[in-house]
Amino acid sequence: MNPSLISSLCLTTALMALPTLFFRKANSVALSLLTLMFSLLLSALVVATAIDARWAAPAWLSVGSFPMTFQLDNLSVAFILLLTVLASAVALFSPGYLKHFDETVNRGLYWASFLVFVSSMALVVLSADAVTFLVFWELMSISSGALVATNHQNHSVQKASLIYLGATRVATGFLAGGFLWMHSLTNSWAFQDWHFITNASAQLGASTSGAHFAAFLIFIGFAIKAGIWPFHLWLPYAYPAAPCTVSSLMSAVSKIALYGLIRILVLGDLDSPILGYLAIFLGTISAFWGVLFALIQTDLKKTLAYSSVENVGLILLAIGVCLVAKTNGLLSVAAIALSAGLFHAIGHGVFKALMFLGVGTVQCATHTSRIGHLGGLLKKMPTTSTCFLVGAMAICALPPLNGFMGKWMLYQSLMQNTWLSGSPVGAGVSLSVICVLALVGGLSIACFANAFSVSFLGEPRSSSAARAFEGDIGSSCAQVFLAALCLALGLFAVPVIGFLKPICDAALHSDTTVAATIHFSLSSVLIVFTSLFALIYLLILKPSKVRRGIIWECGFGSVSARAQVTADSFAQPIARIFNKLLSYSVTCEIEGSDRRHFPERITVAPHTASHIERRIYQPFLKLISFIARSLAKLQSGSIHLYLVYLCVTLIALLIVGRSF
Amino acid sequence: MWQSMSTETFLFETARWILFAVITFVMPILTIGVVRKTRARMQGRMGAPLLQALFDLRKLMQKSEAVSSTATWIFRSGAGIELANMLLLSTLVPWIANKPDGVSSDLFLIVYLFALSRLFAILAALDSGSPFGAFGSSRDATLAMLVEPASLLALVSLAVVAKSTEMNVIFSLTNVLLAHDPGLWFLAGTAIVMASLVELSRMPVDDPATHLELTMIHEAMLLESSGRNLALREFTRALKMTVLFGLSAQCYLRAWDDFWHFPVVAQVWLSIGGILGLALLVGLFESVSVKLQWRKVPEFISYCMTLSLLAAMVAVARGVVH
Repeated sequence: MNPSLISSLCLTTALMALPTLFFRKANSVALSLLTLMFSLLLSALVVATAIDARWAAPAWLSVGSFPMTFQLDNLSVAFILLLTVLASAVALFSPGYLKHFDETVNRGLYWASFLVFVSSMALVVLSADAVTFLVFWELMSISSGALVATNHQNHSVQKASLIYLGATRVATGFLAGGFLWMHSLTNSWAFQDWHFITNASAQLGASTSGAHFAAFLIFIGFAIKAGIWPFHLWLPYAYPAAPCTVSSLMSAVSKIALYGLIRILVLGDLDSPILGYLAIFLGTISAFWGVLFALIQTDLKKTLAYSSVENVGLILLAIGVCLVAKTNGLLSVAAIALSAGLFHAIGHGVFKALMFLGVGTVQCATHTSRIGHLGGLLKKMPTTSTCFLVGAMAICALPPLNGFMGKWMLYQSLMQNTWLSGSPVGAGVSLSVICVLALVGGLSIACFANAFSVSFLGEPRSSSAARAFEGDIGSSCAQVFLAALCLALGLFAVPVIGFLKPICDAALHSDTTVAATIHFSLSSVLIVFTSLFALIYLLILKPSKVRRGIIWECGFGSVSARAQVTADSFAQPIARIFNKLLSYSVTCEIEGSDRRHFPERITVAPHTASHIERRIYQPFLKLISFIARSLAKLQSGSIHLYLVYLCVTLIALLIVGRSF
Repeated sequence: MWQSMSTETFLFETARWILFAVITFVMPILTIGVVRKTRARMQGRMGAPLLQALFDLRKLMQKSEAVSSTATWIFRSGAGIELANMLLLSTLVPWIANKPDGVSSDLFLIVYLFALSRLFAILAALDSGSPFGAFGSSRDATLAMLVEPASLLALVSLAVVAKSTEMNVIFSLTNVLLAHDPGLWFLAGTAIVMASLVELSRMPVDDPATHLELTMIHEAMLLESSGRNLALREFTRALKMTVLFGLSAQCYLRAWDDFWHFPVVAQVWLSIGGILGLALLVGLFESVSVKLQWRKVPEFISYCMTLSLLAAMVAVARGVVH
């Protein structure tokens, strides 16, 4: 099949979407069907096309004199399939979701940006050279910026989209710098000519140590876009501000940044242990930082945003292990690490999208995503709640779901690195990372047990939560589909890893055997578990006589829903332990005439702040705005002053010109 | 597997599974019995009979259940999920010498299956809507978060030397890589005992015999359970205790094995003796120690972490030498 059909399909969709901009009340169902068709067609085309195809776009479509080139290999196929799965689920979900925001949301803008966003993401993944990549990367950033600003009447959304756009600008700046540098070193824009090898007399497009600086710039650019610590600050602003459908797709965007890292640095044979260790370091810190902040959030969307920081950190960690192991010649370790990174990228894309869609349904039903206003939703929204629980279990890496397999491979690569590296440093680093990962595991259980149980279990904490209802059929289908995918990816991890094998082979130039390291079977674990549970349920629990009653409250009579634990109080013991990192404090104010014995009003509130935001980013931004304000004095608006500038410039030019 | 087996091996394997099942059901009762009896004797009482836990379970099985009207399916199935998971774990964790072979088990799979149990325990406690259960589970999550690195690191340091994450390989008697490491086995075993005291919410972290709901950890999580639900949860906890004590007893036995080889036939009796011996020690320790103040608990866990770190250092040194 002609591979250029794929790029044409994406480009046509992006162009066709533009007229939708002018229909404020566009029909969601029709556009959702269109997106579904696009996703199905794209995945069918990608699967049917021969792997390792390269083609150029038609001549009229070129950047300057430079024709756009595309390629399709196993890596692009994996990410495009992830993208189409997420896009179809979100498209199924969107019509029901948008109905609840009828007055505020411009549906034409939403769907146009949505289609452009999805197709430009596919085109980024298909790009074979740096210029094409940057063009579609920008299109992707701008369209997602427009999507974040969907509810732009809201002040916090305005701020969030500004921060998001700012972060994407900086990311693109770093990327462009790195790309230009590599172009000057190799005299080529094509990714396949880029090799980051220092000792490279044998390699085509050999480069000097300058390649490592270029690699560093590219690394920073992608790290900003992926939301790695300490560049993660845009994430907790942008994800909660965007509609849930957009957030769930945007969690795929951060995967596109990681795709870029793998495509350019890992496939470009980067042999810099410094950058590898930097990736391990930043990945580990992101994982810990993300989950720690996720725990203390009181808004479901913020919890999910911070947990994205955690998971992106895990993927970066895997990429770092891969880079270090590859430099040290431990190809089997590198292969497991790369498979872990790819598997977790796909897995995280699926379960994070699932959880965002769950929050979207909750938001439709209760008009809030604040954990403190929810509660008791499991009885009213059984499908959504169960799917959310599946997502939470996957994100906590519990077997037999896909999160576990990704994390298992990560652990396995670190373990193998310990006993193969033969150096105390390598072993020590691996064991410390394992230790941090165990802590992250414990924290994520606490975090999602808190988020799930406070929002979905117990008694409703507000009247809107008490009136909650299940979402429409489309939203339920989308969530059940993604939840089933979580389970399937976990149970059938071995075929998936087999599918990823060619990517590892290409990256490591050798025949890798990752699937052989999996020496247990999750399917049999699940079968044994299910049969044991069925036995216990049928023999013991089902025949038991059950009386319903009120809970134990020390004999005072029924307690109100407000007596239940809140997300803050559940997280308090852990927040106390990490209070230095979180700047955590609890204030307690008691009001009333005789405050000690007859308080009229007691207010207890926890406070946290982000050190990085307060100590580094805010002073830096203040400095920039100070410089900008000082420079603004030059442009006072007075015509006399401008005439003086003209005169001075003219004289200066005359003097300069005379000296030549 | 089954086709290639002769009738004799088949019968032998079946007998092994039956023996294993019997031990799995009897040992938890005995372990609890030994701890309680030791505590009673230390307090100068005769104490309840050794099999009192069995009588308690029988009584609970005959009672009807009172369930909070707030609770959903999670509350009641949680007990079943926890027990099913724990039974599954008892076939995966090498806690007793006669554990049937052929069940492939991974270190990280085991750690995350324990985490699965914990998640459902927390969810069930919060499902009833009781603030006591919620406080208990909040503390339980905190303890688990603190103790997870220590217990994982202890097991990982064994795996580093054994060059495998397969539990059967690490704990295999024929594994030459770990044959002469009594120090490492001892450190790992002690770290696992200390970690399991925290995991099981026993003294000095939590007093299982406490009567104040506000200070309870594990008991607060069970506050709403009754009847068969409670029976399942009590048995799960006893089984968890047996499996964890068994795991550390196996570590001690390996350490001992370096000085004096014992015959294979004695292995099962030694494993059982090891578990009951640990139960006796825990009973003695619980009689003479006091429950720590909540804020001092991380200090106790840091001792456990120190042992794990020492084990990891030994393992790295050994791993590099080889």
